[in-house]
Amino acid sequence: MARYLLRRLGSIVISLWMLATIVFLLVNVLPGNVGRKVLGPTAKEADVIAFNARLGTDKPMLEQYWVSMKRIFTFDFGESFQSAAPVTELLLPALGRSAKLALLAFIITIPISIAAGIFAARRQDTLADRVVVNVGLASSSIPEFVSASVLLALFAVKWPIGKVYANVPPGSSFFGQLEYLLLPALAMVVAYFGYIARMTRAGVISALHADYIRTATMKGLDQGTVMRRHILRNALAPTITVISVQIGYLFGGIIGVEKIFNYAGLGSTILNAVGKKDIPVLQTGVLMVGAIYMISTLLADLLIAYLNPRVRLEAD
Amino acid sequence: MSSPETNNLEGPVSADVQKKEKPITERSIARQENWRLIRRKPGFIIGAVISAIWLACGIFPNQIAPFDPLDYRVDNNQSPSWTNLFGTDRGGRDVFSRVIAGATDVLKIAPLAALLGVMGGVILGMFMGYLRGRFDTVASRIVESFLSLPVVLLGLLAVTTLGNSNWVVIGVVATLFTPVVARTVRAAVLAERELDYVTSAKLRGEPGWFIMFREILPNITGPIIVELTVRIGYAVFTVATLSFLGAGPPPPSPDWGSQVSDSYNSLISGYWWSTFFPAMAIASLVIAVNLIADSVQSVLDGQ
Amino acid sequence: MSETTTIDDLASTATPPALEVDELRVSYTVRGVDREVLRGVSFRIAPGEAYGLVGESGCGKSTTAYAALRYMPKNGKITSGRVLVNNNDVVNMSTRELQHFRATEASMIYQDPVQALNPTLKIGKQITECFTILGHSKSEAADLALAGLKQVHIAAPSSVMERYPHQLSGGMLQRVVIAMGLAKDPRLLVLDEPTTGLDATVEAEVLDLVRELRRESDAAVLLIAHNLGVIRTMCDRVGVMYAGKMVEEATADTLFSAPKHPYTIGLLNAIPRLGLRKTDRALATIPGNMPPIGADLPACVYESRCPIVTNLCRTVRPPVVELPNGQWTRCHHSDKLDEIVELEAAVPVHEISSEQVVQLNQISKTFRQRNNDVPALVSVDLGFAEGETLGLVGESGSGKSTLAKTMLGVYGPDDDGGTITLDGRPMKAKATDRRNEAIQAIQMVFQNPDSALNRAWTVRRILRRTVTQLTDIKGADADKRVSEIAEAMRLSERHLDMRPRQLSGGLKQRVAIARAFAGDPRVVVCDEPTSALDVSVQAAILNLLATLQRDEKTSYLFITHDIGVVRYLADRIAVMYVGRIMERGFTDDVFNGPVHPYTEALLSAVPAIDGTSRSYSTDG
Repeated sequence: MARYLLRRLGSIVISLWMLATIVFLLVNVLPGNVGRKVLGPTAKEADVIAFNARLGTDKPMLEQYWVSMKRIFTFDFGESFQSAAPVTELLLPALGRSAKLALLAFIITIPISIAAGIFAARRQDTLADRVVVNVGLASSSIPEFVSASVLLALFAVKWPIGKVYANVPPGSSFFGQLEYLLLPALAMVVAYFGYIARMTRAGVISALHADYIRTATMKGLDQGTVMRRHILRNALAPTITVISVQIGYLFGGIIGVEKIFNYAGLGSTILNAVGKKDIPVLQTGVLMVGAIYMISTLLADLLIAYLNPRVRLEAD
Repeated sequence: MSSPETNNLEGPVSADVQKKEKPITERSIARQENWRLIRRKPGFIIGAVISAIWLACGIFPNQIAPFDPLDYRVDNNQSPSWTNLFGTDRGGRDVFSRVIAGATDVLKIAPLAALLGVMGGVILGMFMGYLRGRFDTVASRIVESFLSLPVVLLGLLAVTTLGNSNWVVIGVVATLFTPVVARTVRAAVLAERELDYVTSAKLRGEPGWFIMFREILPNITGPIIVELTVRIGYAVFTVATLSFLGAGPPPPSPDWGSQVSDSYNSLISGYWWSTFFPAMAIASLVIAVNLIADSVQSVLDGQ
Repeated sequence: MSETTTIDDLASTATPPALEVDELRVSYTVRGVDREVLRGVSFRIAPGEAYGLVGESGCGKSTTAYAALRYMPKNGKITSGRVLVNNNDVVNMSTRELQHFRATEASMIYQDPVQALNPTLKIGKQITECFTILGHSKSEAADLALAGLKQVHIAAPSSVMERYPHQLSGGMLQRVVIAMGLAKDPRLLVLDEPTTGLDATVEAEVLDLVRELRRESDAAVLLIAHNLGVIRTMCDRVGVMYAGKMVEEATADTLFSAPKHPYTIGLLNAIPRLGLRKTDRALATIPGNMPPIGADLPACVYESRCPIVTNLCRTVRPPVVELPNGQWTRCHHSDKLDEIVELEAAVPVHEISSEQVVQLNQISKTFRQRNNDVPALVSVDLGFAEGETLGLVGESGSGKSTLAKTMLGVYGPDDDGGTITLDGRPMKAKATDRRNEAIQAIQMVFQNPDSALNRAWTVRRILRRTVTQLTDIKGADADKRVSEIAEAMRLSERHLDMRPRQLSGGLKQRVAIARAFAGDPRVVVCDEPTSALDVSVQAAILNLLATLQRDEKTSYLFITHDIGVVRYLADRIAVMYVGRIMERGFTDDVFNGPVHPYTEALLSAVPAIDGTSRSYSTDG
């Protein structure tokens, strides 16, 4: 177990390094003058040169790469090119806001989508099943910004039960915060309901066909007991995997929702940094998103192994 | 080699030798059968009809749209009427015409990006799954790194760096799909290479490329076709999202994503139509493609 | 119908039967059409009696067994007939009554114990559940579960209670399943292929256990097995099923010594038994195929394959013909059964040359698993003379397949001086490094033709590619060669343009054999080539292999777990155990007086079809 964890964490470090490299390559493929980009076209040439010299962005590519990797692995993420503030000071609050929104979204999504998946699986090929399957398909197909804009038009403008802007004013009460976060969270619920419900349904259906379910039925157990005791533990593994992947994506992948509701989460912060070629913010932000994904999938694998001891913990 | 003299055989042999039927190959029969099953699915019919409508709009936007989608003549922020079916946007452009014209770019970009991504993924996944070993270990690690980031985030990064153009968007989306497809194909190849026909091919000295692309590939076309249809849906999704975030086809393209991006701020003022209709256009196309993908998948996976 | 009354009269027991199946008809709905699988099946089992159902795959024996507990696939339904267990009408029970019935009256033991147990729950919990459902408290149930495990002779039962299924062997798991089945002291115990997939010695243990438990209880046993040896040694009475109908019923002794239905006779003559060798006679085969489910069969169900069929059989449904000893058969011509002719020898008695074609000298193979060395082959010496069949027997994990794959060059052996020679000249370890003649010289027939044949290729392409790749024959000559090979394998031109999926199991295996022979090999490795096939199909394949060898002078390495098959076909036998060859010798010598105790144990573990005291001679 300890060995497994060590190997997994090791491979996470390697993956993060590769990720950092990919990002570094991406932002540096085109020869661009960072100083010019940050300071704008009207800045004096001397200022631009000084800026580049200060940040080291005039150094050869390989040296820049070396420096940036060294910093990442010593947890020195540097300062934003743009604001000169430490990167962590910019990103950590954004991460907190993203986490708050993600948490709310998942508290709503997980129970209803798992319940819908089980409901559909038990009524396979009936009308109710087809409704769940197709609603799920539609909901997971639609880009988040589309559902977010429709929700905004309906429930913030036409029948205002939520707020147009999701940024919670400081000092709001718990319910006050909910009012701000409800609509963007709902947009995310729409996006993720389909994945989780359909995956749960598929997992339950395949477990229903397993031989050990036949054994349980032949023991004379009633359907409810068979479902609770025998099916769910086996059926939920793919659901857990999907949820963990979605949690990973939630932090960086819902830029659309953040933009519509003007919410300063991790995604929007990265979006801003992209436009400004603010490499330290960009790199650290991307690594955060990647690290969250990797940790959440690791936790999912541990949970699956706990639920099903036959699953061996092996680093790939 | 002389023939064995046993006359007891388990197969319906001797009677059938005379009947020389036309060799209808089984594959074409299976294909026809699959196609028939797919066509009968209501999801497929709905999806195909919607897609066909958008395809018509994408190919003949000028014939279908009543106004020039880029023309600023009309009064701005008019609500839907008989003249302007979907109203006008804040620039006074006809939303209906813009929605129709917006189909062109996404229908050019998404299928091509998906196709290239699947081709790349098939080749990469085939080598990973068949060669295994060190190549697979390194490639898998890189694939995992790509998968740890949302496609939209990486796409945004790449398009912003490389500049907005249709070809850049196609290339970026294709590149980002490659690892995803590669993982699926790798899994399929891993299962296939354990089968004895692969051992048998090795036992008659077939080279690796032959085993990969002549022996294994025809046996995994099912998952590849499924992957392709699913990827087209995701490509529409991704292109729309990128263009909403300002990294789609370059302006002044009336792309649906950029239309939503342009107008969602005026939702607060009650001008819902200039956001709502392009948003619905995106939703309908993505759902349509996914309905088709779902029908294909349910038939090819044998339910 | 008169049939029903006759069967009623035949019931020999005075007490009410534990299971009574009466004119049972079951249909499966396939694409909206009802297709009949059981076409009116009737039989009875008395309390304490063991009843076997035999027949080839697709005959409906498993459907019958599951119908006894009213377990149907989603598309299956009982259309008419009665099933009474201990006088309870199973067909018309409500869901609740059915649950209660399954919890208290009837149990089932399944084919694959690994799949039959829930991988996520501890053994203890899964057994305890069978007792709590009977109303016992949790602690009572746990005590009873422990006692149940002791009853099936599981050592250290309390630690087994804490284990998960994947931590136990197949034999142990089957004991656990049996313990679960016995929790309720059932009136009816249904065993569906309970030992299929288990090694011979484990199979023997499980069967011993079932026998022992039968002595302690008066539950009726319904046993489904395709292995007639298992049926023979376990059952009091046997029913033979064909195409959803029972065609013959008799006591086990009578059925195996004096079968009275052409199908039963065909089945028994297809099996290599009673020490039959290829030099004695060819195996009987049953031409044609079983009618598919749902086929309209107005007259005799066996009419299309019967060797003594007449017009009467094609038009009139045969009545039940009663015979002495409670035997009955559904045949118009039960008095003309001796018209079924005997076959000639497949192979004349021949000398085996001492010249070795392929020789393995001191071959070892070690696999590395999680930093441990696992020896799979330890210094194996083996040689093949021209035209000889070497039978390789041993239980799973003994290294049989590893030996074959090392010889073929799929695995390279350990680099410790061992060599594989062809005509005395050493070959490279890996197939990819070998000369063309070396590649051509050794080919293989695999166990499972579904896996061995490329699903996307036509038969013609499969064979043609092998011809052009392994020989110098190219172009139109290659096409001619493909046709020749196909003809030799009794494959028609029509089959050549099909893909494997369109062919029956036997035809697929013919294609696989054709491929192995396409390049004129010197040695063909046959890895359990008939274990996935029904016995009548197996017979045709074994006949084909025997005649091919006679004509082509090819050597076989024949790997099998079926002792009857190896005795029939092999000239010499090698017995493997944990990577070593324990005994080697001429087939008759090994069978008449095995030297090594392991061989002795292996041979005696196999349930004999021929009974213990009786001897049934095919030429009588």
